[in-house]
Amino acid sequence: MTDTTLPFADLERAYECLAETLDSLPEHQERLFLAQLALALAHRVGDVERVMAAVEEARWGVAEVSDG
Amino acid sequence: MRPAGRAETDSLYFDYPHFPFVRPAELDGRAVRHRVAIVGAGPVGVTAALELARHGIESVVLDDKATVNDGSRAICISRHSLEILQQLGVDTPFVAKGLGWTRGRTYFRDREIFRFEMPHSEQERFLPMINLQQQYIEQFLIDKAGESELVELRWQSAVTDVSQDESGVTLEVSTPEGDYRLECDYLLAADGARSVVRKAFGLALHGEAYEGRYVIADIHLRSGFPTERRAFFHSPALPDTTILVHKQPDDIWRIDYQLGPDEDPDQAVAEASIRERVGLIVREVLGEGDDWELEWWSLYKAYTLALDDYRHGRVLFIGDSAHLVPIFGVRGLNNGLADAANAGWKLAWVLKGLAPDRLLDSYSPERRGATLDVFTNAGKSTRFMTPPSRGYRLMRDAALTLALTNDYASGFANPRQVTPYTYAGSPLTMPDDAGFIAGPIPGAPLCNHRLGEGDYLLDHLGSGFTLLYFSRDGQVDAALAERLAVLQAQDKRIDLLAIAREAPAESALKDVDGSLFAAYGAETGSAYLVRPDRHVAARWKRLDPADFEPAIMTALGGK
Repeated sequence: MTDTTLPFADLERAYECLAETLDSLPEHQERLFLAQLALALAHRVGDVERVMAAVEEARWGVAEVSDG
Repeated sequence: MRPAGRAETDSLYFDYPHFPFVRPAELDGRAVRHRVAIVGAGPVGVTAALELARHGIESVVLDDKATVNDGSRAICISRHSLEILQQLGVDTPFVAKGLGWTRGRTYFRDREIFRFEMPHSEQERFLPMINLQQQYIEQFLIDKAGESELVELRWQSAVTDVSQDESGVTLEVSTPEGDYRLECDYLLAADGARSVVRKAFGLALHGEAYEGRYVIADIHLRSGFPTERRAFFHSPALPDTTILVHKQPDDIWRIDYQLGPDEDPDQAVAEASIRERVGLIVREVLGEGDDWELEWWSLYKAYTLALDDYRHGRVLFIGDSAHLVPIFGVRGLNNGLADAANAGWKLAWVLKGLAPDRLLDSYSPERRGATLDVFTNAGKSTRFMTPPSRGYRLMRDAALTLALTNDYASGFANPRQVTPYTYAGSPLTMPDDAGFIAGPIPGAPLCNHRLGEGDYLLDHLGSGFTLLYFSRDGQVDAALAERLAVLQAQDKRIDLLAIAREAPAESALKDVDGSLFAAYGAETGSAYLVRPDRHVAARWKRLDPADFEPAIMTALGGK
């Protein structure tokens, strides 16, 4: 399992690009877009364990903020 | 704005001075030709006057007010700005009164998710940031200007129109004792966001206005919480509002909060609304009691707006008259002070006949470049602090949620505080010498270095150019000494500052442990040419005396 990560400046570019793309879509297609994106990224990661770890990371975050 | 029953200058902690009108010679029909007039006696205008005075140039500063700014407004002064103030000999009261800080905290929902530390080390004389209300900033600068015979402050003098021709600039000035016409060689427009000078020439700011509206409110509150920048996102008490909190001297706290998209700004700035919202923040978000007093508040919008060119003939625009930036990152005042320093020394050199008028052409690319850099960073900060759309809001919340447990996402919450701009692409800056692997590159400001107890490298700069020369024992190569002597004889104002590794000559600075050599990537014979505003114009790993004069000529606007 490799630990390659994106430099922060590139992560910021991705952030901005995602924000702009989300704004260009009708709100009701947000979820479908994000789910597709997750699969497309998973396909490129090349290591299912890392994909699972990322899924867990995101799920954990949602659980953290939905208790209040 | 202030609570009902209190005048604009009725403060809980600050005694507003009253500046009388003094009848100028022009009103009695005497013709006076001024070298430089400055419109606006705010922090930027007075800093420019002090910078000109540092180089021996007289100026007259006009302001329509009879006192300092009505509220605390800009409160964060960066290290780079303090270094400017040190060069003006006015840093002491700022450091004595201001509250220094290095740290910030970001909270998301009910948790602290990120702490940032601004770069700081024992090599620095000044902390990365101090907090000080704008009234004090103005007062200290005005006090200093009052000590100078080269600065004339004209209060209660409103500039109503401006025109220029090839030989000079003419101002129409309105005063309590009548109107007069003021003539000058050059004009610095430091008259703020609603610049009269800008309007007189029909010049427009271009850029963007952001959606959000914000309230800044000052309260008097006794609290033991240290001086740090706190940002609250999605607090349980006010989930839709981003809140910023800063401590100021005299137990004054700045609370900055965003209004919702549907809130009526007029309603939101009514005293009752301010009291209700601020009370909630103090109690629920900061966890303090109800024992606080309301001092002052104001409403603002975030803009990234700038003039296309900061030079307009014989007029240079400095500070908010040239550019408006969002507050996140504290760049408004700090960039204004850098504008004043940049414009000030260049104008002084031109007026003294030491540089051609085209030196002033470099003001706009250097300082407008800094503004555009600010726009990039401040735009990101603003979109994070107050997302302008559904997509940005979702991404912001996603980044903050991930940041609860993942360090990689916490960088998004970094406030990107102001850093000095590097004039690398400036026409005044020489290409870098490839031999260097450390030290400030050409265009960057000098970095400070501790030489001993209370003794730092920047303390030793003169008011002109400085050749920072790295030597073995403080002795300078004979050919170089000769060239320096020739330039000094032409009154070019270049000081030699020799750094010695061992047994220094009388005037050299001793680098006891070699750490200054290392920080500057220097060896014996290396040199940095430093401008009056501390930015590096050129550097050489091994200076050939023949290369020195061309670099000076370039730094003065070229042949």
